[in-house]
Amino acid sequence: MRWVAYGVTCVIAGFLLSCVSDSGETVTGSKFDKVWTVEQPLPPARYGNVLITRLTKKSTHPTVAFSHWLHRRYYTCRVCHFELGFAYKTNTSGISEEKNRRGEFCGACHNDRIAFSVLEEENCRKCHSGNLGHTDERFAELNLFPKTLYGDKINWVKALRRGLIQPKQSLLNEQFEQIPFDKNLRLEPEWQGVNTRAFFPHLKHTEWLDCADCHPDIFNIQKKGTKHFLMKHINEGKFCGVCHLTVAFPVRDCRRCHPDLD
Amino acid sequence: MKLKVVVVVALLLLFASVGFATNFGTKKRMPRPEEFGNVVINNYSEKNNIAPVVFKHWVHRAKYTCRVCHVDVGFAMEPGGSDIKEADNLNGLYCGSCHNGKEAFGPTSREKVVSEVKNCDRCHSYGKDVKGLKNFNEHLKDYPPSRFGNRIDWMKAEEKGLIKLKDQVEGISIKRQAIAAPKDFDIKSTILGMPDIIFSHKIHAEINGCELCHPEVFSAKKGYTKYNMQDIFAGKYCGACHAKVAFPFYDCQLCHLKEVY
Repeated sequence: MRWVAYGVTCVIAGFLLSCVSDSGETVTGSKFDKVWTVEQPLPPARYGNVLITRLTKKSTHPTVAFSHWLHRRYYTCRVCHFELGFAYKTNTSGISEEKNRRGEFCGACHNDRIAFSVLEEENCRKCHSGNLGHTDERFAELNLFPKTLYGDKINWVKALRRGLIQPKQSLLNEQFEQIPFDKNLRLEPEWQGVNTRAFFPHLKHTEWLDCADCHPDIFNIQKKGTKHFLMKHINEGKFCGVCHLTVAFPVRDCRRCHPDLD
Repeated sequence: MKLKVVVVVALLLLFASVGFATNFGTKKRMPRPEEFGNVVINNYSEKNNIAPVVFKHWVHRAKYTCRVCHVDVGFAMEPGGSDIKEADNLNGLYCGSCHNGKEAFGPTSREKVVSEVKNCDRCHSYGKDVKGLKNFNEHLKDYPPSRFGNRIDWMKAEEKGLIKLKDQVEGISIKRQAIAAPKDFDIKSTILGMPDIIFSHKIHAEINGCELCHPEVFSAKKGYTKYNMQDIFAGKYCGACHAKVAFPFYDCQLCHLKEVY
């Protein structure tokens, strides 16, 4: 009987561990290695690059490498993540060749009218490169942009303010103008005696995003209404971490949100 | 004894892990245009070993106003809320008010049967690949595009005469004298910098009548019902229809459209 009990606990423990780990990733070494080592930051030219493998990993086609910094010069986040319906997590949008050819997802721009077409065979390799670094050389084009210390090391907010880039706000509506909602939030820390209050400027976000990109799914619209809004969860990729770990400036850049930190 | 303790601890751990696995703070998946407004009705189907019903709002709203079903026929606003039984339908209530072989195909009628699909399967279609009379993508091409939801601008489609919505169904609706169209009005935003809402009472009254909203969702007296965007996101007030069937909240500026000075 005792062995049966051990067996049951092992199965359940295995299940629990599988819940914790990201599905599909192979982890070498101990599961807890990650906790104790400081992750090396990505090279700036690789920050925000993603491999889209949902369908290509089952086929012989090379995977798609998508570079955020290459696209955000010309289009704001809302164009793809709002109007075109791209999800926020890699491989969850349900992009397929058929949909691209029909003008959905990548095909909404990559149609020869706005950008190179998905229909022509010579263009396939431009995205299906299978190589996260295939846009590295073009990163030099961003040399003159204002700098920061982390992520892709480019201060996109300043670049936009100085007019170095004029990303399009909308594909579908030429006259689109974002609601000029300029409310600054001062978020007081839960801890007493620590200067960790955060400031949230709406305007800097609405220059790139749509209201509905964050509300109401990620953030409830009431200031105190968002439950579990803790740094711990942000580091897990929730709340601010949905963007500010992978594409927008990373949370390593503490002082950009918590300017009073000393 | 030991075994019991081990099992209880293991079960507790299991429940704890399930309890903490929530999706807060992340973006929800946007529904595909063909999924938006689809509703699964499963009060009795699975208990009786039949596939649940998938009700597609986009098929029906191209032909009838909301009022016909949600006022005259009496469908609840939540899926499964009407507690429809087979006997009801056969007696000419709920779906059976139209799906009787006269207004639309009935459970046994043989006309318009699509490629050997039985009529039962056309509604009891959950988990099956049932081909309807119209494929969604073909449907989409016929109508003016919109940005979200079904990606169809239903109002423009009606304006252009591409769809003609029936507001009366014989034997169910009662013909009454038309009431003059109510006046449009603005709804003031309580937050600085957020544009006011221009509420078109007329457009809403045309497809909803009065009864769908008043007095339950909104009191009949202007300003009497107090609500905020948070309530709407939670599926109350405007959220009773918008985001479920009518265009979703994503499109902020379809309602918040008064200029801010």
